[in-house]
Amino acid sequence: MNLFTLAVKNLQRRKGRTILTVAGVAIAVAILFSLLSFSAGYERELTKEMDSLGFHLLAVPKGCPYEATTLILHGGVIPKYLTNEDLVRARATDGVVIAAPLLLQQFVKDGTPHIVYGIEPDVMLPLKPAWKVDGRFFTVNETHVMVIGSTLAEKENLAPGSVIPFGPLQEPFTIIGVLKPTGSEDDNFHFLPLADAQRVFKKEGFITAIAVRADDVKHIHDISVELEKVPDIQVVTMAQVTGTIMNLVGSARSLLFSVIVIAIVISAAGITNTLLMSVNERTREIGMMKAIGASGYHIGVLLITETLLITTIGGIIGIITALAGSGLIEMFVRGLVPYAPTGSFVSFDLYLIAGCLLFSIGLGLLCGIYPAWKSARLSPMEAIRGEWE
Amino acid sequence: MSIIEATGICKTYPRGREEVCALRGVDLTIEKGEFVSIVGPSGAGKTALMNILGCLDTPSCGTLTIDGVQVTGKGEAELVRIRREHIGFVFQQFFLIPTLTVAENIGLPLLFSGTPYDPAKIEILLEKVGLSHRADHLPGQLSGGEMQRVAIARALVNDPRILLADEPTGNLDSVTAYGIYHLFEELHQQGITIIVVTHNHELAQRAGRVITIRDGLVDGGVMGARAPIPEQE
Repeated sequence: MNLFTLAVKNLQRRKGRTILTVAGVAIAVAILFSLLSFSAGYERELTKEMDSLGFHLLAVPKGCPYEATTLILHGGVIPKYLTNEDLVRARATDGVVIAAPLLLQQFVKDGTPHIVYGIEPDVMLPLKPAWKVDGRFFTVNETHVMVIGSTLAEKENLAPGSVIPFGPLQEPFTIIGVLKPTGSEDDNFHFLPLADAQRVFKKEGFITAIAVRADDVKHIHDISVELEKVPDIQVVTMAQVTGTIMNLVGSARSLLFSVIVIAIVISAAGITNTLLMSVNERTREIGMMKAIGASGYHIGVLLITETLLITTIGGIIGIITALAGSGLIEMFVRGLVPYAPTGSFVSFDLYLIAGCLLFSIGLGLLCGIYPAWKSARLSPMEAIRGEWE
Repeated sequence: MSIIEATGICKTYPRGREEVCALRGVDLTIEKGEFVSIVGPSGAGKTALMNILGCLDTPSCGTLTIDGVQVTGKGEAELVRIRREHIGFVFQQFFLIPTLTVAENIGLPLLFSGTPYDPAKIEILLEKVGLSHRADHLPGQLSGGEMQRVAIARALVNDPRILLADEPTGNLDSVTAYGIYHLFEELHQQGITIIVVTHNHELAQRAGRVITIRDGLVDGGVMGARAPIPEQE
């Protein structure tokens, strides 16, 4: 037998209380783990989503550029336009590899808004290497053809070969391809040749934005400075968008973190209280142990071991619970934040698991130190007589 | 050679604003191998004296020597070592750990003294207190007398020279109490110095010497008339 087994036996004496305390720790750690893992996962998925866009910056009409960018990312219409001249200018800028014109339009069918992207396939497709198409993509100079996102295809029950009347004039358009699911907003869009889109929506010569890829990320800044020399153009880099979204999420995140802090403080107070109670109950027994040769050190170590057992087991259970219930937690968190990337936030991050375990151990030390110190310095005679404090 | 030598021991406790004087200068010598009982009315200072003799408490004044070692003025760490090596304690409430078996309870002091757990030794002690058949039972399954026997075995596990018992039969019926005294007498035969604090005058008379404490002072050391040992427990 050693102090460890003695600690285990002591915890078995009040099973109900031990289980409740462990559960308290488990809940606190589960919340901590989920929210930290959400926080890390959110940023990771957001960056991934931005990378999957395939371009480094967007040239948009002057106005509120962030709003414009968010609209473009999720599909939306900006009532201001750039022109073909701007596109020519962008293409002539040093360091620009691809400048793809985009025309975004929206129409409502059966009460549902539909987003239309007018694009030039020869410049757009290189930006989207991840796109896979059932059927085929249109080529330059084709007209009255369309590629649609997978979600949209499913919703409208469309497949390659379907012909639908489209636009104000109900011109017949042939669906020649359906995008395989991308996990992004692209799944909901209609993609039309730019010229078709401009004609159908009577926006000849106009574009909503220019998506630009630089030859090197180092040149992004120079390119934006150069493009912003054009009076109509405002440039938004994807790094700025990520930053803005993270700021928006920041307030939601601080709310979540205050929830964690409260959960942990309550749990810590509970553990300390449990330990003090168990020390109080055992005052005489502690006196006996001192009489039969236990030093203050032994008593202190025994108490700290009991606490560490509670918090470490609680921590492990909490992490397992958080991993098992991550889907639910993610759903809850998604409802709280203003912009949610499509990927999964919670991941099996070993560093985070180790961190949460260390936290549990730290919590045990913190909560155990006062009761341990208190019982360690208890005079054996006073303890045996049951005089506490 | 005397195993305990106490001179001029006094002890005052603060109680609220007052100072209560529990011992007022006790001189006491106990020889090696003696069986001594300490009696006296409640509040006379028996327990205070016991705690000081057992190094559980430090006297306010006076000096105490145990087995030739000067104890007074020693720090708690040193006192722990002296208790562990020289003294075995038996209390009125047996203070057994309910989740440990009888054998584990007896071995508990070994955990603190850093001595390896020796099943053979525990076996011998179990036999000595007549509980060989109870080794794997939990305290809750034992009678009061059996629990006190476990506590006595626990007190003996570090081979102390002195056994201090504070009201060891206070929670037991008279027949069981006789049995416990019988055990003390056997241990006394084996050379252990035994000091028992008790209210029970009849049992106290069975010791080799009865020391009466009154108002914090030793009231004469009368040689006890040994009562006949009963035929059976």
